[in-house]
Amino acid sequence: MAPVGSFLALAAVLFCIGLYGALTKRNIIIVLLSVELMLNAANLNLAAFARMGIAPGIAGQIFGLFSMTVAAAEVAVGLAILIALYRNRNSTDVRDMDLMKW
Amino acid sequence: MSNPFAGWVWNGGTIAFFLISLVVVFAAVMLLQFRKVMYMALSIGLVFLGMAGLYILLNADFLAFAQILIYAGAITILMLFAVMLTRHDEVEDPPLRDPKKWLTALGCLALGAAMLWTIRNTPWSSPPAQPPWPVQKNVAAIAETLFTGYAVPFELVSVLLTVALVGAVILARKEG
Amino acid sequence: MIGYAWLVPVFPLVAYVVLLAAGRKVQEGFAAALGTLAAAASFILSLSIWIALLQGGPQPPYLWPWLTFGPEPSQTWYVGFEVNALNAVMLVVVSFISTLVLLFSRGYMRGDPRFGVFYQYLLLFVFSMLGLVLSPNLLQLYIFWELVGLCSYLLVGFWYFKPEAAAAAKKAFVVTRLGDLGLLAGMILLYLATGTFDYEGIFQAVQTGALRIERPDPAVLTTVAALLIFLGAVGKSAQFPLHVWLPDAMEGPTPVSALIHAATMVAAGVYLVARTFPLFAASPAALEVVAYIGGTTAILGAAIGLTQRDIKRVIAYSTISQLGYMMMALGVAAYSAAVFHLFTHAFFKALLFLAAGSVIHAVETQDLFRMGGLWKRMPITAWTFLFGALALSGIPPFAGFWSKDEILAATLESGHGFLFFLGMAAAFFTAFYIFRVFFLVFAGRYRGERVPRENGWVMTLPLAILAIMALVAGFFNSPVGDYAMARFLGEVPGTREAGTGAGTMVLSTLVGLAGAGLAWLMYGKGTLSPERWSLALSPLYRLSYHKFYLDELYRAVIVRPFAALARGFDWADRVIVDGLVDLAGEGTRAVASGLRRLQTGQVQTYGLIALLGLAALIFVSLSLLGGVRL
Repeated sequence: MAPVGSFLALAAVLFCIGLYGALTKRNIIIVLLSVELMLNAANLNLAAFARMGIAPGIAGQIFGLFSMTVAAAEVAVGLAILIALYRNRNSTDVRDMDLMKW
Repeated sequence: MSNPFAGWVWNGGTIAFFLISLVVVFAAVMLLQFRKVMYMALSIGLVFLGMAGLYILLNADFLAFAQILIYAGAITILMLFAVMLTRHDEVEDPPLRDPKKWLTALGCLALGAAMLWTIRNTPWSSPPAQPPWPVQKNVAAIAETLFTGYAVPFELVSVLLTVALVGAVILARKEG
Repeated sequence: MIGYAWLVPVFPLVAYVVLLAAGRKVQEGFAAALGTLAAAASFILSLSIWIALLQGGPQPPYLWPWLTFGPEPSQTWYVGFEVNALNAVMLVVVSFISTLVLLFSRGYMRGDPRFGVFYQYLLLFVFSMLGLVLSPNLLQLYIFWELVGLCSYLLVGFWYFKPEAAAAAKKAFVVTRLGDLGLLAGMILLYLATGTFDYEGIFQAVQTGALRIERPDPAVLTTVAALLIFLGAVGKSAQFPLHVWLPDAMEGPTPVSALIHAATMVAAGVYLVARTFPLFAASPAALEVVAYIGGTTAILGAAIGLTQRDIKRVIAYSTISQLGYMMMALGVAAYSAAVFHLFTHAFFKALLFLAAGSVIHAVETQDLFRMGGLWKRMPITAWTFLFGALALSGIPPFAGFWSKDEILAATLESGHGFLFFLGMAAAFFTAFYIFRVFFLVFAGRYRGERVPRENGWVMTLPLAILAIMALVAGFFNSPVGDYAMARFLGEVPGTREAGTGAGTMVLSTLVGLAGAGLAWLMYGKGTLSPERWSLALSPLYRLSYHKFYLDELYRAVIVRPFAALARGFDWADRVIVDGLVDLAGEGTRAVASGLRRLQTGQVQTYGLIALLGLAALIFVSLSLLGGVRL
């Protein structure tokens, strides 16, 4: 059994990779994928703590399940927005989506 | 921090963890390195599968199952759909000499270093040999907790899913 | 009955609110009927209050606590109303004149696009004036005092599109404000010294010398307070040297001049001094000042009135002069004579103004030298004007004779020989200028273009009623009427019993007749040429015609320096203050337009910045917690 720190370290590495992708990739689909990666990293933490945290218990897995459900909903809505945007702007490049300016 | 493998015991579990970790990190890095969007989507599928393996290592069988179903299955396929619905031959632009990119990399590295340092310097209790739930009855344990202690959040999540479903339909529908 | 006195101002207030709600499109007939009826209701109620007072005697004021801010008795301010002999007279006069003026305005203002607004203002004024009279303390009086000032401003500037009217309204407001400042200061001083705004409380404290302020000693303090209060009266009652606003206020519609600037509001100053008379009585020096200011005003107004060409201005200077008489009477402690003159003057001066308004309405000019020969064409106006002129000149048995005579007699009796002489000279001038107006307007040949016709009953009826009053009002306080008014007003401490000696009676009658006769010789018969006389007395004539150059003097000494100072402040405000404000604004904008470029709209940039911030936070917190040792 690998110690808990190993799982956490792996999760941290994945999180940072996902963060980097979310902040640098141009294609909005990839941005979404990177966000999913970050979510997974967080989930891994939950599962690890459920198994061998300070207060291990099944609740950690339940949290993980909820998080997955929310992620699924997020992906569904995110993709719907993406499709709508693509239809309106004919682009999936995040740099074209700058309506938050001023 | 002299020996990163201090206290590390090589056995089946740790070897599996090591291998899966390698695969997952490799797939995650490839996700960022591929040019074609299609490959990227496929490599994240690999990450999701690796995650499921890790869950199994953590005695979270049901979570691993759900991971494969939802992430590796539904979400990856959904992403592929999205790729094909937009421009399935989409190619990410060649990387530019963008200072922002370097800055982002620096920030991510700093954050990661901070996290790793914290993990390293936190005294963790040694993992219990057995998980705190009956190993063979993981699903039953989850079900019991979910439907007793977490019934209300469970219902709320179902409402959330319904709303997301309706919202997604309305958003993606063609206007007019 | 007296308990219902609060209803007197409420009638016009209700009518005002109704007209305000009805807006500008209100029918002329409705507005006039409503306003006149409201004023008439006030008049009837005032009359019954007077009768009730005659039967029942004075009653204590009705008071309600208004502001309580401490346990001391002086830390509760009251509102309420009171009825006494003095303000019962005022109530009757004000509501009576108001009724007639509101009726008269129906004809005078016919067809004015802001007819309804005119009635609104008039009703608001009537409400304020009645409220002023009913006020049981200085504070409440001050509130209404400012309200009547506001109404005066609004009504003088009613034809605001005429630049003269707008300027006159402004002048009236600013000049009276100087006086109001004195009243306010006096009020505050009295409150600090006596701890109350109530008249009776102030009088008691002043008479016993039990003041809360140690230095200066009570006598000086009383004099200062009385003079400050008197300053308010000087402004409001157009006494020298603050009289300059009243002639200019003639730019307002003539009914306004009759109501506000002859009968009621300008009399408020006299009323104030009369109401606070015990305060003045406690300070002989203040009384002397009042007497001499009054006498100066009387002769000054009369002297200027001799030569003016504008019919309303002549009457306006006449008003100033007559108000001077009243002040002079108060100054020599002839309390009942002053109030009596206020009473009679209200009738005949309102009459003269309304008659002048009737003439102006018919010939559409105010220039005396473009009138003439109206005796046949406007008989009712002519007769009523004659009544007013006789009353003003002090020809027996008209009202003005009795009241003016009492004042002159009291002046002589009190030993002010010089003031008596001034009063006599002013009486001579008065008779001359008013008959000059009379002969120029009604005698001789018509010199205008427009064919004048007598006005309708809404205008002549008030004239007729006022003419009767100008004839009979004097008997209330004459030997014939057994000095009924003096007895009604009762004993006010420190006042002088007014008696009329036969000598002064004969003398003042002769003086009045002489003045009228001289006017007849000059302008009626034409025996004496006015032109030659004015040439012979050229410097005096010019002095009078240019109103002793007081306006010019004020402009040079007060208005110019203040205007220059104001321009300086204006420059400082525009350039320095506004510059600083603009600098702050422009600087912020410049910084913002630079910072705006940071807002790219790119979520990823924002995310990057958030990430860097997070990393920085983590490192800071870790190092603060002692975790990181780099």
